[in-house]
Amino acid sequence: VTGTLGSLTPGRWAPIAAGIVLAALFPLVYDDPYYMTIIVTAEIVLILNISWNFILGIAGVWNFGQLAIYALGAYSGGWLMLHQDWLPTPLAIVGGGLFAAGVSLLLAFPTLRLFGIYTSLLTFSFAQVFLFIVVNDPKGLTGGTFGFPTVPGLFSFLSPTASLHAYFWTMLGVVILATLAVAWIRASRLGIALRAIRDAPSYAAARGISPLKYRVIAFAISGFIAGVAGGLYLSYNQSFTTAAMGLTPMSIDVTMLVIGGLGTIWGPILGTSVLTGLQVSLVDYPGIQLTILGAILLVIVVFVPGGLVGLISSIRRRIAAWVAEEEGDEPPEDTPPAEREEREALSAEAPSPSVPLEGS
Amino acid sequence: VHLTDVVGILVETVVLGSVYGLVAIGMTLIYGTLRILDMSQGSMVMAGSYVGWWALVTHGFNPVLALVIAFLITFVLGTATELVSVQPLLGRKKEADLEMVTFITTFAVAIVITNVALQHFGPFQKRVPPIVGGNLELYSGVSITYHELTMAAISVVLMAALGLWLARTRWGLAIRAVAQDLDAARSLGVPASRLYPFTMGLASALAGVGGVFLGALYFASPTAGDLPLLQALIVVVLGGLGSLSGTLYAAYLVGLMQAFCEVQFGTTWTLPILYAAILLILVMRPYGLRGSPSEARL
Repeated sequence: VTGTLGSLTPGRWAPIAAGIVLAALFPLVYDDPYYMTIIVTAEIVLILNISWNFILGIAGVWNFGQLAIYALGAYSGGWLMLHQDWLPTPLAIVGGGLFAAGVSLLLAFPTLRLFGIYTSLLTFSFAQVFLFIVVNDPKGLTGGTFGFPTVPGLFSFLSPTASLHAYFWTMLGVVILATLAVAWIRASRLGIALRAIRDAPSYAAARGISPLKYRVIAFAISGFIAGVAGGLYLSYNQSFTTAAMGLTPMSIDVTMLVIGGLGTIWGPILGTSVLTGLQVSLVDYPGIQLTILGAILLVIVVFVPGGLVGLISSIRRRIAAWVAEEEGDEPPEDTPPAEREEREALSAEAPSPSVPLEGS
Repeated sequence: VHLTDVVGILVETVVLGSVYGLVAIGMTLIYGTLRILDMSQGSMVMAGSYVGWWALVTHGFNPVLALVIAFLITFVLGTATELVSVQPLLGRKKEADLEMVTFITTFAVAIVITNVALQHFGPFQKRVPPIVGGNLELYSGVSITYHELTMAAISVVLMAALGLWLARTRWGLAIRAVAQDLDAARSLGVPASRLYPFTMGLASALAGVGGVFLGALYFASPTAGDLPLLQALIVVVLGGLGSLSGTLYAAYLVGLMQAFCEVQFGTTWTLPILYAAILLILVMRPYGLRGSPSEARL
C-alpha cells in the first residue's frame, strides 16, 4: 500500500493547498454574517464528522455513540472553563477532548466482545441513555434541556464581526489538522492494522494484530477529536443543549457521512458541505427538511453505496478508461493506487501478501 | 421492603413486560427471518399512538375497531418499509454488511415517518384516551387500571397467538423455515422474498397495537416512539437477537428491573441502571441470554 501522504505528488498537493488558501481568504471577500454563522457551524459539524468517519468508516467499528462523546467533550470542557479560571479557554477545550477520549476509550472494551450489529446497538443505546441522563440531570451539572450555563467564548475580547472571522479561521485550522491527522493515521501502520481488522478479522488475527490494542487507540483518537469538536461548539455558541445530541443531529450527521462516502478522507468534507447547502436551501420549509433528508439517505444507501466519493472515483475511472480507448491504448487495468486507496483497503478475498502488517 | 411494594413491583412487571414483549417480539421476528434490525419499529409505535388518537378522539370509534385499524395501518406501513428499505438491498452484499446497511435504511425510514407525523400533527402531545376506563384495587394501596390490565392481557394473547401461528399455520411454518435455513426453505418452494414484507408488516402491526395502548400512558407525539424503541432494543439484545423465548424472558426481566428501580431509586436512574446491567450481561454473554451465533432461530 503506497498511498501515504508522502506519495502525494506536488500535482496533488497544489490544488489542495490552493483550496485551503482560497477558503482562508473567503471571509475577507464575503462577509454576510448569516452565511458566515452557518459556515462556522458546518465547520464544527465537519470536525465531529471527521472523528466519526474515523471510527465508523476507517476502523469499521459501528459506533453510534459518538454524539454522547461529543457532548461529554463539551460538558467537561465547559466545566473546566467555568470552574478552573486559571486554565486558558483553548486548553479547557483540549482538556474536554482528553476527557472525551478517556470515556470513548472505555467504550472500546465492551465493543471488543461483541459482534456486528450488537456493537451498533450497544453504542446507540449508550448515546440514548446518556441523553436521557442529561435531560433528567439531577445535579444540574449540564443544565439539561435548558443548556449549559453561558461560558466566555474563545474570542469574547473581539468585536462580533472579528470574532466570527476568528472562529472561522480557528475551525478551518482544526478541520485541516484533523483531516491531515486522519489521513496520516489511515496510511500509517496503525491505519493499515485497523483496516485489516475491519476487512479481514481472521487474517489480521493470524498476522498477530491485536484488536484490543488498535481498537482502544482508535476509540481514543476518535473520541479526542469529537470532544474537541464539542468544546469548540460550546465556546462558539456559548451554550450546549440536548438539542445538539438527540436523534435529529444524529440522523443529519450519519446522512452526511453516508452521502460523502464512509471511510474516505474526502467523504466527510463533501457530505457535510453538500448537506449543509441542502439545509440552507430548504430553510424556508423547515417541516419537510428532515423528511427530504431521510429520503436522500435512503436513496444514497440503496443506489449509491459508495457515497459521493465512490461515485466520483467511478466516474473518473470510466473517463480514464474511455480516454485510454480513444488513444488506442489498452484501458488501464486498475485505478491508480491513490484512488484505489480511497475506495477500499485490504479485502478478505485478496489479502496482498506484501502489505507490511505489524506483528505485535 | 413492604409487601405493598412487592405486590406493586410484580403488577408493574407484568404490565411493562407484556407491552415490551409485544414491541420487541416484532423486532425478534424480523431479525430471525431477515437477519436485520428494524430501527423503524419505534416509529410504528408512534404511528399506532396517532391512529389510536385519530380513531378514538377524532372519530369516536369503538376501542376494538381502533385497535384493528391501528393493526392494519401499521401492517401496511411496515410492508412498505420493507419494500423500500430492505428488499432492494437483499442479495447485494455480504451478510454482515446487510445488517449494517439496513440499520441505516430502516433508520432513514424512521426519520421520514417521524417528520411526516411532525408536519401533519404538529409537535404537541395528543392525549389518547384509555381503552377501558377505571381501575381495580388489588391490595391495600396497590391498584391497576383496567387499561393496563387490558394492555397486558391483549399483549399476552397476541404473543400467544403469534406463537401458535408460527407453530401451526402454513405461513408461520414458512417464516420459521426461512429463519432456520434459507436455502433449504427456498428449495422446498417457500417464496422467501414475498415472505419478508409480510413478516415486517406483521411485526410493525404488533408494535402499532402496542402504540395504541402506550398512547394512553405516554401521549401521542412525533417522538413517542423513541423510548419504546430504546426499550425494545435493550430487550432484544438482552434476550439474544432472533430468539423468541429469549425475548419473552428478557421482556419480563427488563420489566421487573424497571419496576424495581422505579420503586427503589426513582425514574431518573431506571434507564441508566438498566443499561449498566445489560452492558454487564452482554460482556459476559455476547449473544444475549438465549441467542447463539449459529443455533436455529425462532
